[in-house]
Amino acid sequence: MADPTPSRLAKRPAPRLARAAVPLSPGRRAWRRFRRSRAGFSAALLLCLSVLWLGAWPFFSHESIAPYLPRGLTWSPLTLTDAQFAGPDREHWFGTDVHGRDLLSRVMHGARISLVVGLVGAAVSVIIGVCWGAVAGYVGGRWDSWMMRVVDALYAVPAIVLIIVLVATLQTPLKAWLVARWGTDLGPTANLLLLFVGLGAVSWLTMARIVRGQVLSLRERGFVAASRVLGASHARILLRHILPNVWGVVIVYVTLTIPSVILYESFLSYLGLGVEPPYASLGYLIADGVVHINAIRTHWWLIVFPGGALVGTLLALNLSGDGLRNAWEPREEED
Amino acid sequence: MRRPDSPERTLPTRPAGACQRPRGGGLFRTAALGIAAALALLGCGSSPPSADLVILNGAEPESLDPAIMTAQADLRIGGSLFEGLTRFDPVDGNPVPGLAERWEISEDGRVYLFHLRPQAVWSTGGSITADDFVYSWRRVLDPATGSEYAGILFYLEHAEAYHLGQIADPGQIGVRTAATHRLEVRLRDPTPFFLDLCALPTLAVVPRDAIERHGDRWLLKPPVPVSGAYELVTWRINDRIRLSRNPRYWEAARTRNQVVDLLPCISASTALNLYETKAVDIVWDKNLVPVDLLDLLLARPDFHAYPVLGTYFLRFNVTRPPFNDARVRRAFAMAIDKQRIVTRITRGGEQVAHSYTPPGIGGYRNPEGLSRQPEVARQLLAEAGFPGGTGFPRFEYLFDTSSRLQEQIAVELQVMWQRELGVRSELRKMEWKTYLVAQGELDYDVCRSSWMGDYNDPNTFLDMFMSHNGNNRTGWQEPRYDQLMRQANAQVDPLRREQLLQQAETILIREAVPIVPLYFYTGLEYYDPDRIEGIYPNIRAEHPLRVIARKPALP
Repeated sequence: MADPTPSRLAKRPAPRLARAAVPLSPGRRAWRRFRRSRAGFSAALLLCLSVLWLGAWPFFSHESIAPYLPRGLTWSPLTLTDAQFAGPDREHWFGTDVHGRDLLSRVMHGARISLVVGLVGAAVSVIIGVCWGAVAGYVGGRWDSWMMRVVDALYAVPAIVLIIVLVATLQTPLKAWLVARWGTDLGPTANLLLLFVGLGAVSWLTMARIVRGQVLSLRERGFVAASRVLGASHARILLRHILPNVWGVVIVYVTLTIPSVILYESFLSYLGLGVEPPYASLGYLIADGVVHINAIRTHWWLIVFPGGALVGTLLALNLSGDGLRNAWEPREEED
Repeated sequence: MRRPDSPERTLPTRPAGACQRPRGGGLFRTAALGIAAALALLGCGSSPPSADLVILNGAEPESLDPAIMTAQADLRIGGSLFEGLTRFDPVDGNPVPGLAERWEISEDGRVYLFHLRPQAVWSTGGSITADDFVYSWRRVLDPATGSEYAGILFYLEHAEAYHLGQIADPGQIGVRTAATHRLEVRLRDPTPFFLDLCALPTLAVVPRDAIERHGDRWLLKPPVPVSGAYELVTWRINDRIRLSRNPRYWEAARTRNQVVDLLPCISASTALNLYETKAVDIVWDKNLVPVDLLDLLLARPDFHAYPVLGTYFLRFNVTRPPFNDARVRRAFAMAIDKQRIVTRITRGGEQVAHSYTPPGIGGYRNPEGLSRQPEVARQLLAEAGFPGGTGFPRFEYLFDTSSRLQEQIAVELQVMWQRELGVRSELRKMEWKTYLVAQGELDYDVCRSSWMGDYNDPNTFLDMFMSHNGNNRTGWQEPRYDQLMRQANAQVDPLRREQLLQQAETILIREAVPIVPLYFYTGLEYYDPDRIEGIYPNIRAEHPLRVIARKPALP
C-alpha cells in the first residue's frame, strides 16, 4: 500500500548515475533503500499483486469470462450447493462450508471486505490525525495543549467498547435512513459505514501525536524560519515546507495502522458486530471455522484458509511497514 | 413456555481464582490466596464418594423451587425432589397416579376429587395432606411468588382473577380441602389434559413449614423436606447437585439407585469428552450434542434420537405489508425446502413439519398443512401483485444468537426465497433477550421461533395463537379461530373436540398462515444401553431418575 509506484520500476537496475550527479530528495533516497530491503519490498510487492487480484476477483464469476477459467475460480460466495463440507478438491479449491458455499470465494470476498475496512480506516486516521497533529504542533502554545488534551481524553476511552456501543446503537437508525434516502440496496452497508467511522475515530489519535511531534521539531528548523522571514503565509509553510517532511513517518505509520484496523474489524466480526451474514469478513470466517474444531472430526480447511489469509495479510503489511521505517530512518547510513 | 435453545439459563461462570483484574500487590495476594485454596482442597483430600449414576444435566439450574423453575434442566431435578398428584410414566410419559392414589371426575369434566395416599409422608416426617396441596397451589398463583408458570393453573376457577389481583381472597380459587386426604378441584372448563398438568413440577406439593421459616432460602437450609423420590444432599454451584434416595418416599422400595450426581455443563464438546472418558454415564440435554458430528454420532448405538413435543417455526408480522396479505405468506411457506434444512443443517433426524402440532400429541391427528410447491408459490405471489418478486419491498428475517443453527437456517431461507420467489431479504441478528422484546413488540417482518409443549395436548400449541394470548406475537387476530378454540375446550366429547381443534389448526397452517412450521424437534441423549437401563424414549423427554440404573456387571 505504501508503494504508489507500479512494480515494473523494481525490475530496472537502480539509476546509480543519477545519484552521483544530483543530490537526491529524501523521498527518493528512502525509496531506493526500501527497494533494497528484501523482505519488506517483496511483501509490499505481494500485497500490491493481491490487491490487484482481489480487485479483479468479482469479474471471474462473470459469464463472459467464467468459461475460460478453471471451475474453482468462478464460484460466487452466496451460491448454495449440495456439496456440504467438501474438502479441498478440483471443484472447490479451498473446500466448502455447511451450506455448500465455496470457501475460496468466501475467503476472497472476506479479504476484500477486510482490506477495504483497513484502507478506509487508515485513510480516516491519516486525514484527521495529520490535520489535527499538524495544526497543534504548528500553532503551539495554549491551542496545542488544548488539542492534545482532547487526544488524551479520547485515549482514555476504551476503543473497543466505544465501537461496540456505536454499532449497537446506530445500526438500526442508520440502516433505516440509508434505505429511506438511497433505496433498498444500501441496507447492508450501514454496518460497514459504522465500522469505518468507529475504527477511523479511534485510530487517528496516535497519528496525531506522531505528526505533532514531528511538526514541533520541524518548525524550529532553519528552512522554516527562512521562509517565514521571506513572508510566506502559515498555510504555505505548513503545506510546502513542513508536511512534505512528515509524509515519510506518516506512510510508515499507515502500514502499521491498516493491520491493527483489520484486526479490530476481525475481532468485531468475531463478536457478531461487524459485517452481517451472508457476507463475511476474514474474522467472521475464522469464527465460523473455530466451531468445527473437535476431537472426532475436524473440517480443517474452514479455519486454515481464512486464518492463513489473515495471517498472510497482516504479516505482509507489517513487513513492508518495517521495511519502510528502515528506509525512512536508516540506523546506519549506508549510502 | 419452555423455549429450547434459551441461553438465559446459563449462569455466568467464573473459574475459581479469576478475580477482578488485580492491580500491583493485589496480584500476589490473589495468587497466594489461590494457592492456599488449592492446598486446602488438596488437604481435605477426600473427594466425595462416587455416585451410582452421574448425569450431565445441561445449564446450571436457576432455581430448584418448583414454583419458580422454568428451564428443562431445572424441571428434571425438581421433578425428582417434589411430586404432585400425578407423575409421569417412565415409559410413555403419560400421567399416572402419584401422591394421589385415585381420583373421581364429575360428569361435566369440571370437578376432580383426588384421594391422596394416606401413607405418603415428607422426608422429614409428617403426613402430606390436602392442605399442603392447597397451600402449594395458592403459592404458585400468588403474584408475590413471581412464578412464570402460574398460567398453567388458570384452568382453575377464579385462579386467573386471583393472580391478576382482581380478587384478594385465595379461598375463592377452585381448589379446597374436602378431608385430610381428599382434595377437591373445580375447573373453569372441562380440561382433558388437567391430569397432565398435575404431573408438572410446578404443581408439586412443597413444604409449608420450611418455606414459611426460611423464606426464599428454604432450599439452602438442610434438611429440605421433600415429597419426591430423592432428597437434596448438596448443591454446589457449577460443580454438582447430589441427590440421594428418599427412604420415606411412598414407593421407596422401587427406587433403583442410592446416590445420583447431576453435573451442570453448557459446552457440547466438554460433554462429549466427559462421556467418552466415562466420567459421566448419561448426557441428556439436546444442547450438549455437537451438531456438526451428528452424522457420525447418530450411527453409534449409544446415541438416542427420538421425536419430542417441540416445533421450530417462522412467525410473520401480519400487521406489516406485504405480509398482511395471506397470499404472500402462503407463497413464502410453499417456497421453503424444509427437507434440505433438516438433512443438511439440523441433522438430528428431525422430522419435517407440515402441521404446527407435533405428531402423536395427546392422540390427536394433525391436519395436513402446506407442502413445498414452488410453482403455486410463484403464482400466489403474482396474484398478490409481485410477479417474479418485482416490486417486493425489502424485508428482514430476524433471528437470535442463541445457537449457530439459527443463522445457518436464516442463510438457507434467504437463498430459497430469493431463488424461488425472486424476493430479497436481509438477515437481522439479535441477542436472545432483545430478540424476545422485538418479537413481543412486533418489531420484525419475519422471524424464527420455537415452542416446546408443556403438556401432552394440542391445546398447548394451539391456544397461543388466539387473538389476545401473550404468546401470539404475530398480530394475527381471527375471530373464527378463537371461536373454534373456545368451543373445543368446552367440549367433553373427545372426538368432537379433536375435529374442532383440527379445523382451528387448518386455519392456522393452511389458510391464514401467520406461521410456517419448519420441523419438529428431536430429543437427543447419549448413554451406553449395555450399561444403563431405565431410560425410555417418549415425546415428553421425561426420564424419571428413580427407574434409571446401571446394569449389574455380567459375571
